[in-house]
Amino acid sequence: MTAFLIRRIAFAFVTLFAVLTLVFVIVRILPGDPAQIILGDQASREAIEAMHIRLGLDQPIALQYASFLSNALRGDWGISMVTGRPVLAEVLNVLPWTIELTLVSLAMGIAIGVPLGVWAAVRRNRLVDYIVRIASLAGLSFPAFVSAIILLFLFAIELRWFPVISAHKGSVQAWTQSITLPAVSLGLNSAAYITRVTRSAMLEVLSEDYVRTARAKGVPQRIVVWRHALRNALIPIITVAGLYLSTLIGNSVLTEIVFSRPGLGKLIVGALNQRDYTMLEGMMVIYTLAVVVVNLLSDLAYGFVDPRVKLA
Amino acid sequence: MMKIFGATLVVAALLAAGGAQAQKKTLVIGMGSADAGKLDPHVASTTPDKGLLQYIFNGLVRIKPGQISPDTIEPDLAESWTSNPTGTEWTFHIRQGVQCHWGYGEFTAEDAAYSIKRAANKNTSSYSNDFSSIASADPLDKYTLKITLKNPVAGFLGYVANINGGNMVCKKAAEEMGDGFSKKPIGTGPFMFAEYQPQQYVRLTANKQYFRGAPMLDEIMYRYIPSDSSRDLAFQSGELDMIYGKQDQSWVDRTKQLEGVKVLAMEPGELSTLFLNITVKPLDDIRVREAIAYAIDRKSIVGFKGAGSSREAVSVVPSGYLGTDEHAPLFPYDPAKTKALLTEAGYPDGITVKTVHTTLTGMETFIEAIQAQLKKVGVNLDIQLVEHATYHAQIRKDLSPLVHYQAARFPVADVYLTQFYDSASIVGTPKAVTNFSHCNVADDEIRAARVEPDPVKQKELWKTAQEKIIKAVCGIPVYEQLQLWAWKDNLDLGYDLKGSLNLAPPVTEKTHFLN
Repeated sequence: MTAFLIRRIAFAFVTLFAVLTLVFVIVRILPGDPAQIILGDQASREAIEAMHIRLGLDQPIALQYASFLSNALRGDWGISMVTGRPVLAEVLNVLPWTIELTLVSLAMGIAIGVPLGVWAAVRRNRLVDYIVRIASLAGLSFPAFVSAIILLFLFAIELRWFPVISAHKGSVQAWTQSITLPAVSLGLNSAAYITRVTRSAMLEVLSEDYVRTARAKGVPQRIVVWRHALRNALIPIITVAGLYLSTLIGNSVLTEIVFSRPGLGKLIVGALNQRDYTMLEGMMVIYTLAVVVVNLLSDLAYGFVDPRVKLA
Repeated sequence: MMKIFGATLVVAALLAAGGAQAQKKTLVIGMGSADAGKLDPHVASTTPDKGLLQYIFNGLVRIKPGQISPDTIEPDLAESWTSNPTGTEWTFHIRQGVQCHWGYGEFTAEDAAYSIKRAANKNTSSYSNDFSSIASADPLDKYTLKITLKNPVAGFLGYVANINGGNMVCKKAAEEMGDGFSKKPIGTGPFMFAEYQPQQYVRLTANKQYFRGAPMLDEIMYRYIPSDSSRDLAFQSGELDMIYGKQDQSWVDRTKQLEGVKVLAMEPGELSTLFLNITVKPLDDIRVREAIAYAIDRKSIVGFKGAGSSREAVSVVPSGYLGTDEHAPLFPYDPAKTKALLTEAGYPDGITVKTVHTTLTGMETFIEAIQAQLKKVGVNLDIQLVEHATYHAQIRKDLSPLVHYQAARFPVADVYLTQFYDSASIVGTPKAVTNFSHCNVADDEIRAARVEPDPVKQKELWKTAQEKIIKAVCGIPVYEQLQLWAWKDNLDLGYDLKGSLNLAPPVTEKTHFLN
């Protein structure tokens, strides 16, 4: 277990280093000049060159890379080239919003997806199964921003149950009102995904010999399905939920934009549009860390749900 | 049952009455961007940032709120001013007792001098070019500022008005905070910076000591809502009082249907021009450039863009600027001439012209319409779409023989002519701004007009410059896009809104809600 952890963490460092290097190279290959964007389209070339010097962009690329790496290692993320605010502070400002939305919508996805998937698997090829399969396919193919607008129109404009600007904090009521629509919009999509994975994992397990044996010796259907079968089907579900967590963080950008919520997705799109090199690099480290941590956690979770899995 | 119902009604009515008594004092504005940029008036160059900063800062003089013409310039921080006959020495008398926000002390001539030097410094300003003619700016005494120019500057007062580098910052605050100034901008305007929540809003609170009187509003919430549809919905649900519109006609038509709403297409118009690089083949041949000019149908472009939110271009300078030739001899739409000219130039089978173009929706639909018009006469416009920052970088490296650019500038012809048509501004050169066409045909007139003290002669020079540029087809002006805004009709702006050089409606000390 310890050896496993050490190996994984070492590997995470290598991944991080590779990603940092890639990001450094890619953002500088992109055409577009942060100085031009900061100063606007009336700035003269002289002013732009003065800005290059201030931003350190006049330095040789190797030197920029070296100072970037050493700063990153020391945990100094620098300041945003465009806004002049510290990268770390900008990220930490919006990170709670993203984590909150991601977790609530994932929880919603699991709460809806797992029972539906199990139900559909048990009633294979019956009406329920068809309805669940079609609904989940529709849920997957429906773009999040369309469902978001429909939700807003119905519940915020017609019924007036929720605000359009879904970014209020302070009281529990305000928080609940703010998170409901974005979480539903994102949660429906993950529910569709989890339903399909649960269904196929359950189908496989339900055809195993031990399930037949359990049924033959008279174990009630409820216990066969929920205790024997589902527990054995959990591994693929956890894998997918873990993988999905990292895509959720990325997918949330459209949800953040439509529901006017702060978040990492908006931050990274803004940084990309403005060629904010330091911000992009900082964000990439966060994303890589997030993916590495989530993967590690889901690997560890295997061991908990299935004692047969040895983490070595 | 009826009793309960009746009682409920009474309670509801009381609540409603209570609500009506508590007059709305917070103005919530919805802006179309994801977040604030650098909130420093000498650096800010985007609509969202300029729109916000105008509530915090004053100029020495100001353009009358709601107007854009330099003819309406009136006192702001300076109560009065004088200049010598040649316009090279200016003396401003600063209003006494004006207080900087948050206790940064009285605004004096020293602050004004500091602010102008800061705006003229290329290390601290995006607008240093605008101040290159300033020889010195010094306080004579506490309330007198003297500015000496190296040469007369056309429309000089505009540069010390309440836009861009003309915004006056408070010296003590700017020196104390340095780079941090953009995190807490300190000015003298009707509203003071109070709070910034990333990706959410900037909150401004009323400056009770404002020299024109305490504002009637208590607060401005300036919300960042990048999605056009979300902004519309939040406006409908009453969460926003004023919104930056989606910049197209269908938005105007749709929003006008809503109850209790005012919609305005306001000045300034952003002029869309097709710049032709006169140094590359086949555009170096004047006949080819004329051929393209004859092929552009401005009228049908305005029909396509919507008559309520756009209008035909009148010259290579946007309409309404000081010095614009409102009846400039633009090429008429005449496709037959295009074909004849192309044949004469040796291209009977037509030509292909490349353009690097942005993916910004409004601009992209325009260039596609132009492509369709050109196709009819055998000019194949090869559009290479790139995202916006790439577009800005590549057109400044001469990678696009035809450049479509959309811009509004300070409304004096000199600014537009200098940035887009003076050969000193050719892209790639040290003083480069946005001369994409490598135009050099009107340098003499542009430069002479800039220092001409006689307004009549100056206008003549500008008129000749415009004629020469049109004749040489350095740029083909096509149409002007107005700024679209909507607000609740219970909001009384306190002035008549025609336009705003800061690109968002001003909010003054008199702006308030009617109920």
